[in-house]
Amino acid sequence: MKDETRVGRREFLHVTSALGGGLLLSISLPACARPSDTLAPTVGPVPTLEGPDSFQPAAYVRLGTDGTITITVHRSEMGQGVRTALPMILAEELDADWSKIRVEQADADTDQVYGDQLTGGSTSIQTSYFRFRMAGAVARDLLLSAAAQVWGVDKTRCRTESGRVIRKDTSESLPYEYLVPLAATLPVPPSAQIDLKKAADFRIIGTRKPRVDGQAIVSGKAEYGLDTRVPGMLYAVVARSPAIDGRLADFDDSKARSLPGVRQIIPLDNAVAVVAEGTWAALEGRRALDLTWAAGPAAGFSSQAEEEKLAAVLKVEPRPQELVAYYVVPFYSHSPMEPMNCLVDARPDRCELWVSTQNPQALKRAVMGLTGLPSDKVDLHVPLIGGGFGRRLEDNSPVAFVFEAVTISQTLGAPVKLMWTREDDIQHDYYHPLSVTRVRAPLDTVTRPTMTRQETRAVPTGPWRAVTNVPEAFARESFLDEYALALGQDPLDLRRSIHKVGRPRAVLDVVAEKSGWGTPLPAGRGRGLAYHSTWGATPVAQVAEVTVDPDGRVRVDRVVCAIACGTVINPDIVEAQVEGGIVFGLTATLKEAIRMEDGTVQQDNFDNYPLLRLDETPTIEVHLVASEDPPSGVGEMVNPVIAPAVANAVFAATGRRVRRLPIRPEDILSS
Amino acid sequence: MASFTLLVNGRSQAVDVDPSTPLLWVLRDALGLTGTKYGCGIGVCGCCTVHVDGRATRSCSSPVSTVDGRAITTIEGLSVDGSHPVQQAWLAEGVAQCGYCQPGQIMTAAALLQTMPNPTDSQIEAAMAGGLCRCGSYPRIRKAVRRAAGGGAP
Repeated sequence: MKDETRVGRREFLHVTSALGGGLLLSISLPACARPSDTLAPTVGPVPTLEGPDSFQPAAYVRLGTDGTITITVHRSEMGQGVRTALPMILAEELDADWSKIRVEQADADTDQVYGDQLTGGSTSIQTSYFRFRMAGAVARDLLLSAAAQVWGVDKTRCRTESGRVIRKDTSESLPYEYLVPLAATLPVPPSAQIDLKKAADFRIIGTRKPRVDGQAIVSGKAEYGLDTRVPGMLYAVVARSPAIDGRLADFDDSKARSLPGVRQIIPLDNAVAVVAEGTWAALEGRRALDLTWAAGPAAGFSSQAEEEKLAAVLKVEPRPQELVAYYVVPFYSHSPMEPMNCLVDARPDRCELWVSTQNPQALKRAVMGLTGLPSDKVDLHVPLIGGGFGRRLEDNSPVAFVFEAVTISQTLGAPVKLMWTREDDIQHDYYHPLSVTRVRAPLDTVTRPTMTRQETRAVPTGPWRAVTNVPEAFARESFLDEYALALGQDPLDLRRSIHKVGRPRAVLDVVAEKSGWGTPLPAGRGRGLAYHSTWGATPVAQVAEVTVDPDGRVRVDRVVCAIACGTVINPDIVEAQVEGGIVFGLTATLKEAIRMEDGTVQQDNFDNYPLLRLDETPTIEVHLVASEDPPSGVGEMVNPVIAPAVANAVFAATGRRVRRLPIRPEDILSS
Repeated sequence: MASFTLLVNGRSQAVDVDPSTPLLWVLRDALGLTGTKYGCGIGVCGCCTVHVDGRATRSCSSPVSTVDGRAITTIEGLSVDGSHPVQQAWLAEGVAQCGYCQPGQIMTAAALLQTMPNPTDSQIEAAMAGGLCRCGSYPRIRKAVRRAAGGGAP
């Protein structure tokens, strides 16, 4: 990896002591100094200041006399824009010149210098907002103090603007880089003495700054886990049972060993690794293995039978004057475009890893446990992630393939890149669980429906974008439409009677207006509404407009979405997340499903596990409902809402109710 | 193993690999051109798209023996500095989320506009439908292709 995109933990050994809400401040600044090969700043007649050439007032930010401002991002970038948005928050309070900002990716840090590095639950901005603002504000305060000292005036007679401190009475100014040596020697003020900006004074937060990784991405230079390389690296793939957790009974590797480019065959726990000079040779070697598998713990498992079992548990006779309905959500695979992979260089006295992971601290601790190495002998770098969605989050699964790579590297005495093929990933994911949800409500009085969900744990399942909000929103919001129909109410009116005030009401009102709710549509078309607030964090409402053809094929023509996520750091990134969440949710609504027979996943690649394509993507209109509330998360707020919106639109178009995902033509025609 | 001379991004490169090796793995493993991505290995996702004699081609399904001596362009060779109109349009529209599929999307769009400088919306839909994006950047891909075709905002 390039040096400027990562920070070794050793650079942070001198960053000590916590203050206030977890803000970590550096006292021993000279230890952070590094040689500078840049020109001294030009500041007119003011003499050059003596002192360190870098200034690190908080773990997340370092200013150099060369004018660079380096902001360290401790959460993983997987397309949600965290490497742009977090620096924007800090740069805002620092009053920095945005063009001077460089972004570094934090390594896994088990010393907790940065706090929790787990990227999940749509929390990165929520939980870092105050901390990053305070880090920037503390740095700014020290630069103000330094300038006041240079000028011999009180700090209150100075202000900051875009990377300079300005003396109010004379309009003289000093650039931050000039003040670095002095600021680095001043005592860090307690956060209680620091004033944060008012929203009205924001000039970076709320703007459409381009993503910091954009240029690298479009030129093919962005480095994902699968792109990392070190000298002497070999390539490995692992053969595992086609069935979930199947057992390895026997294998013959004589043919594989003889293939050109194949270096070594390494038996693992119920798996066999093939190590080669390139990925293709490793894959050819794997194909040449003669493997005999035995049944594992999931043998006999059928998703169809499991669904029937879950439904039977929930089955009730409706009471008089009661509406009861059941909704089914299947197993889903995460299927990020970049499959599972890692690069590991495991030696007796140290271990270095490059893993596109959402959970670097847990992974590092697991590797420390496996190797017996202490924290400072395990370096885990986090490259860009080619799609996460929860796939790279859970402790168990990433640990399993990283452990395989550590074992292989230890056996070889060489660095190894381990890759899962698309087939490996789809067949050995931990899946969004198959579930059945029962919803019931009385018809003689209007009340909130009660929901009960049964979901399977018989096979590996885990967090998938928005987790339980997916079945919850599908069941409740579909049911509310059925309930409204039974009560003789408009679906929008029923929801307005539930969400009377505040942000929930605002998003409903916005989508109603922008979608033209209640206006007529041609035959075969329909409009459906849904509302959800994932984990109660961010209210989202959507109206989907669909066309259903006589064969039952659904085309989603238009989606109008309103979201109230509090303070918007970067509207362009939020809109992208909303559009993407709708597309991701539409795949789950219309296309994807994992089915299992005899403990074996029946899908294995994008030909039989189809994703929504560009020519199937509706027009999407995004409305951000502004407020000055703290930011409340976006990534998992949107995808749960689209399935019930589409199911309700299908009903509006056809009079047919589908209570199972994905919505298939045969289910519309037979309902 | 066999020797091949590949013309990649205007440079002649000798490689000694099994003739069945897909171009994708020759580019990535042998030549270190990791901008071209693996997504499915069976030619259905488009992540691995490069140009062979100017045509958008799935490198995961193109054995190296079939591209010997032909002009291959990868994302790294589309422009030296990211200044190709398609790359610029991708930046202007903020297309990328995780960005992993985008080299393939960009190479597909660049080949489309090379042969069809002013495509209709349905021609754009048809040409770009084969590129999967799990993040769901499709609305912006549409806009970016229109922008690149029109030389400005769509």
